[in-house]
Amino acid sequence: MKFQVNRDVFSEAVSFAVKLLPQRTTLPILSGVLIEATDDGLKLSSFDYEVSAQTQIAADIEEPGVILVSGRLLSDIASRLPNAPVRFSTEDSRIVVSCGTARFTLLSMPVEEYPTLPQVGAESGLLPAEQFAAAVSQVAVAASRDDVTPVITGVQLEVSENSISLVATDRYRVAVRNIDWDSNDSGTTTATALVPARTLQEVGKTFGNAGTISVAITNSDDRELIAFKSDKKTVTTLLIKGNFPPVKRLFPESVDNYAVINTADLIEATKRVSLVLEREAALRFTFTIDGVTLEAIGSEQAQASESIDALLTGQDTVVSLKPQFLLDGLSAVHSEFVRISFTKTDNPNKPGPVLITSQSSKDQPGSDDYKYLLQPNLLLR
Amino acid sequence: MTSEAPSGTPSQGASAEREASPPILHVDMDAFFASVELLSHPELKGRPVIVGGRSPRSVVTSATYEARAFGVHSAMPVGAALRLCPKAVVLEPHMHLYREYSRQVMALFRDVTPLVEPLSIDEAFLDVSGARRLLGEPDVIAQNLRARVLAQTGLPCSVGVAPTKFMAKLASGRAKPDGMLVIRPSELVAYLRPLPVRALWGVGAKTAEQLERLGLRTVADIADTPLDALVRAVGEATGSKLHELAQGIDTRSVVPASQEKSVGHERTFDIDERSTEVLKRELLHQASRVAVRLRAAGLMGRTVALKLRFSDFTTITRSRTLAEPTDLGRRIYEEAVAIFDAVGLRGEAIRLIGVRVEQLSEADGTMHQPALWADKTVPSEGWREAELTIDRVTARFGTDMVRPASLVRAPKTGETADRNGTRS
Repeated sequence: MKFQVNRDVFSEAVSFAVKLLPQRTTLPILSGVLIEATDDGLKLSSFDYEVSAQTQIAADIEEPGVILVSGRLLSDIASRLPNAPVRFSTEDSRIVVSCGTARFTLLSMPVEEYPTLPQVGAESGLLPAEQFAAAVSQVAVAASRDDVTPVITGVQLEVSENSISLVATDRYRVAVRNIDWDSNDSGTTTATALVPARTLQEVGKTFGNAGTISVAITNSDDRELIAFKSDKKTVTTLLIKGNFPPVKRLFPESVDNYAVINTADLIEATKRVSLVLEREAALRFTFTIDGVTLEAIGSEQAQASESIDALLTGQDTVVSLKPQFLLDGLSAVHSEFVRISFTKTDNPNKPGPVLITSQSSKDQPGSDDYKYLLQPNLLLR
Repeated sequence: MTSEAPSGTPSQGASAEREASPPILHVDMDAFFASVELLSHPELKGRPVIVGGRSPRSVVTSATYEARAFGVHSAMPVGAALRLCPKAVVLEPHMHLYREYSRQVMALFRDVTPLVEPLSIDEAFLDVSGARRLLGEPDVIAQNLRARVLAQTGLPCSVGVAPTKFMAKLASGRAKPDGMLVIRPSELVAYLRPLPVRALWGVGAKTAEQLERLGLRTVADIADTPLDALVRAVGEATGSKLHELAQGIDTRSVVPASQEKSVGHERTFDIDERSTEVLKRELLHQASRVAVRLRAAGLMGRTVALKLRFSDFTTITRSRTLAEPTDLGRRIYEEAVAIFDAVGLRGEAIRLIGVRVEQLSEADGTMHQPALWADKTVPSEGWREAELTIDRVTARFGTDMVRPASLVRAPKTGETADRNGTRS
């Protein structure tokens, strides 16, 4: 096998293929990147039985062939090569990479043992890439990182006729956003797919500038798969099995007790006051007609408080919130102002959840339908 | 002490001639449990007395010096102790008494200085540097304290007085029983050098083995070994610490009222246990007990640890850290069982099982983060209410009046129903 390829194009392609590989794999062969040189150009693939990535780039192919080489090593090399065309050739069981006067000899891994990449099914529909990338970053932050309960480590995609909703939760908060969906299949109008949050975040970052993303959800036998495809790049991942909890019904229909606050002001104040908090501790927020006061109490070493403007509708309210949970929601509203709504509850041992939504001005709700529901803390004793 | 000493002549006259007495006291009650038992059995004074349970597997928890003369020591099986000293009287332990006397003794310590660091139920460090002007030199304070403890409680204790915690503890050990030893700064090195390396703080069996392999047997050997050689042998942290300790340098200060680091319960079975059902039931019992103690102390813990000792005495400890601190028996039990299942026993006989909660923090001010919804992965909020109710019932009617159903068994013939299923 022998080919020559543009350095930047190659480096970008390798880094895409390697990015989704786990840090450690059980089988060494799965840490490889498969490079196929055909008359159509170069195809780079990675696959660890759960996630696959594949991309096609242009190259001068002198002699077609297939090689498998350590992904991380190749990615590290590609990102540091001098600005010159990159040449690949095979010599016996070795792969020679040369670029300018730099020359690398790499071990060739056994191609025949590499697994076949999963087949991508028929396209289910199209997503606007930019909206999708924004939605993923807003929602995935609420997904659980605790592998003990796999179902909530994913982002649930709920497909309907012309919109798709993304939902994630870690039991303490729920984030939801709906975006446009151009369904390809008029027959089946609804479907769900539970996608690992980490993979979805990479997909969002990678395809954010792609224009549109083609999505294919395959539910065949016991192999449940979703594929994202754009330009010459494809990512597939197995879906998480199990039933996502019906968290959408936790959102209140309407709330008449709420405060509107400048988002940046609230973020800054929260970060400042929580400096004195100990781990796991929460901030107390007191909303009155005069504004909102943040207080960090419960630590012997230090206390802090700060007041900022807030436009309160309804009655005075006190809630305790974990600062990081609040900041995750505030950073995701993407609007100048934020509305914090206080839901009612009958349980004296469990305060009603707080709903965070965007607000384009002091009295104008935001245009996107992002919603973030957060369970306040309970001050014991 | 003269109470009317004119100002300007503080009681330093004596210490100007001799070296000033160092400020750290280590007070250790002598044969504490046994001494407390003797208070209610004065007729046994002067006789060998052993405190320990009646079960065949019980171990000696304390023994009078008369018993120790026969080679009896703590932690040896009661049976073995009786073989060494057949005349010994065995008394059952009364923990509540020991706790009460411990409280009294610690209170006497705190009359001397607020800087009291209890090490266990029957020993503590005192830093009396601040009490000099009021109460005199540390050796005088120590002598008076010993007299006061004996007068108020009837219990003997031994005191070590030294410039550092490490040396103070060493000194009290040398002073036992019912004595006192002062190690002055100039004498420090002479006391230290002949000691075996194991005597140094933090040198366990493994470190000692490593050191002895290098021919380092005494503290003198360590003191004379260059620091870098020591670091190469036992690592950076241990190496530099040992080097300092060997020179008599111990920078640890007396930290008053050190918080409990963990709360745990364990049980040695009379007959090694193989049934996972029985073992898990024991875990439930222990988890409930640990939770009650946590709540009583106003503490919450973040780490749950399981200890298993097999019939061949090999012992394993496994722990898990929770997402948030808990004081609920239900939560502790769930985690302990998860660890237990992960160990994957295949019918091995278990001699001892124990649950421990670590990484404790004050429950006051701890924010409880409830979940938005309850399912089987989240202990429902109701558990807290249930367990707090148990606390209230226990406070009124006594331990184990209310407990998980699986811990209740039918009373045996001749047994009253009210206390069955409990163990102490």
